[in-house]
Amino acid sequence: MNIKISALMLGVMYLGVPFFLGDNDYLIGLVASALIIAGVAVAWALLGNLGGMVSFGHAAFFGVGAYTSAVLTMDYGVPVFVALVVGGVGASLSSIFMMPALRLRGPYFALAILAYAEIFKILATEATGLTGGAGGLLSIPSLPVFAGVDFGTKLGGYIVILNIVTLMLITYYFIRRSSYGLALKAMHDSELATRIVGVPATYLKVVMLLVSAFMTGAVGAFNAHYINFLEPDYAFSGTWTVFPIVAAIFGGYRTLSGPVLGALFIYLVDQLVFKNLIPQGHQLILGVMLAGMIILSPSGLLPVITNLFTRKKADNKRGEAQHA
Amino acid sequence: MLKVENLSVNFGGVRALQDVSFEVQTHEVLGLVGPNGAGKTTSFNVLSGTVRPTAGSVTYEGHDILKSSMHQRVTFGIGRTFQIPQPMHELSVRENLIVAQRFGRPDGKVKQERIDEILESVNLLHKAEADAATELALTERKALEVAKALATEPTLLMLDEVLAGLETTSKKLFMQTLKNIREKYSLSMIVIEHDIETIMNMCDRVVVFNFGKVIADGDPEETFRNPEVVRSYTGEVPA
Ligand SMILES: Nc1ncnc2c1ncn2[C@@H]1O[C@H](COP(=O)(O)OP(=O)(O)O)[C@@H](O)[C@H]1O
Ligand SMILES: [Mg+2]
Repeated sequence: MNIKISALMLGVMYLGVPFFLGDNDYLIGLVASALIIAGVAVAWALLGNLGGMVSFGHAAFFGVGAYTSAVLTMDYGVPVFVALVVGGVGASLSSIFMMPALRLRGPYFALAILAYAEIFKILATEATGLTGGAGGLLSIPSLPVFAGVDFGTKLGGYIVILNIVTLMLITYYFIRRSSYGLALKAMHDSELATRIVGVPATYLKVVMLLVSAFMTGAVGAFNAHYINFLEPDYAFSGTWTVFPIVAAIFGGYRTLSGPVLGALFIYLVDQLVFKNLIPQGHQLILGVMLAGMIILSPSGLLPVITNLFTRKKADNKRGEAQHA
Repeated sequence: MLKVENLSVNFGGVRALQDVSFEVQTHEVLGLVGPNGAGKTTSFNVLSGTVRPTAGSVTYEGHDILKSSMHQRVTFGIGRTFQIPQPMHELSVRENLIVAQRFGRPDGKVKQERIDEILESVNLLHKAEADAATELALTERKALEVAKALATEPTLLMLDEVLAGLETTSKKLFMQTLKNIREKYSLSMIVIEHDIETIMNMCDRVVVFNFGKVIADGDPEETFRNPEVVRSYTGEVPA
């Protein structure tokens, strides 16, 4: 069921969105921005769903990925698409500093990683030689022309971030159905039960943190080349943590496509509706929506959709049975 | 094969274990008895690695296991159950055993026939696809606890009150199941149990705990005639 919804969603994103919005730069740009949030939301949810780690520090991975890729392309002439991957690697490396936090449980892990994220922001501001300091980096190279396609356009950028998110979902899917995924799923609520049958729980968490940081870093790197500008307050902004968390929980953080649907919904509704209604402080509405979702359906939007589908199917079956 | 020497555990002011020593021979079934709070579960916790002792040493088949991580001890062949069953949540019964095989066996191989065989031996095969955390009755939860440990292919199986709370018939059946398992997989066992009849029936030897200390160690029949043991059971403070 879940996988069908993911496939349907990707179908719409690959065919429907370019077809209907392809020549509207404003709208396609909005959807691309929503996908940037979605990418971080998927990475965040992977860590939360598999292994049960709640992170308040994903902004650090986003920022490190962004700066790694920007600096490599600007100062060392590394091709942009290569730099995106190295940006992910950079974020993974930065997560190594956070690994001691894996010894902490629940809220203490979340808070420790938040502290790390702040430290990274301070470092980026201070390392003026490398990052341009508070003044920022200007004219970061755009996504290039590749195989005859100009990815530097709004539509081109959309296709690239869509590919990134799709690769992330595929990776997530395969991790989840492996025996590692089974153990990680169980660790969410019953870590002791997994340890006692020989699961090296800390090692699995380390791997998930590396993967999640890599994904977030690659998305951060994409963003740098998409908007061509970085400053520490922006690249390491708490927004890159808060928005994805809201999106993931809203959509259903324990599901595959929930965080993506959540990000698309939250971001587009925020930008297209609430921003016009309440220009100042429209994000407040997000808090209200999140609260509403948690009260109405604690496991998020996707389970609601899934239930609608399955109920319809059950109704159809009942109907068929009556006709037979 | 298992040698526990001079083990002590303190929890803040509580001295849960004081200078505890005992051994388990290959293929032996050792009973651990004693009143509530005597330190029986704490001994299991030290052996399986959830509690670090303040002093003492434990060797299992030549391994100094106090230096090893929890998961290494499992691959050395030490398996255990919990007094309060700890199913792996969100997984089916079968998936619980898959994880146990994948991570608990030294070679990490998952063998479906072996999983079926284990489920069969604890009468859980008909519940193989049930959700482990939500769809099992008490006896079935206890059976899964044993099955998970068996799936790691232990040589020493430690059972913490697996029979407690069961009504007489299921208790008898389950005890027979445990005896069969022991034969089939030629296991050594440590069994924590309150019921003296069960201990007499299952165990080759018994170690009696009281207030964190070993107060008797020997043949079950003789031990239960020991006045100090009887006194500990009737709840009197030793002089
Ligand atoms: N994790 C813990 N923290 C603090 N005290 C504990 C802990 N585990 C056990 N104890 C205490 O240690 C003593 C022995 O407990 P336990 O080994 O569970 O006894 P039992 O023989 O009933 O299994 C008890 O006083 C208990 O309250
Ligand atoms: Mg106990």
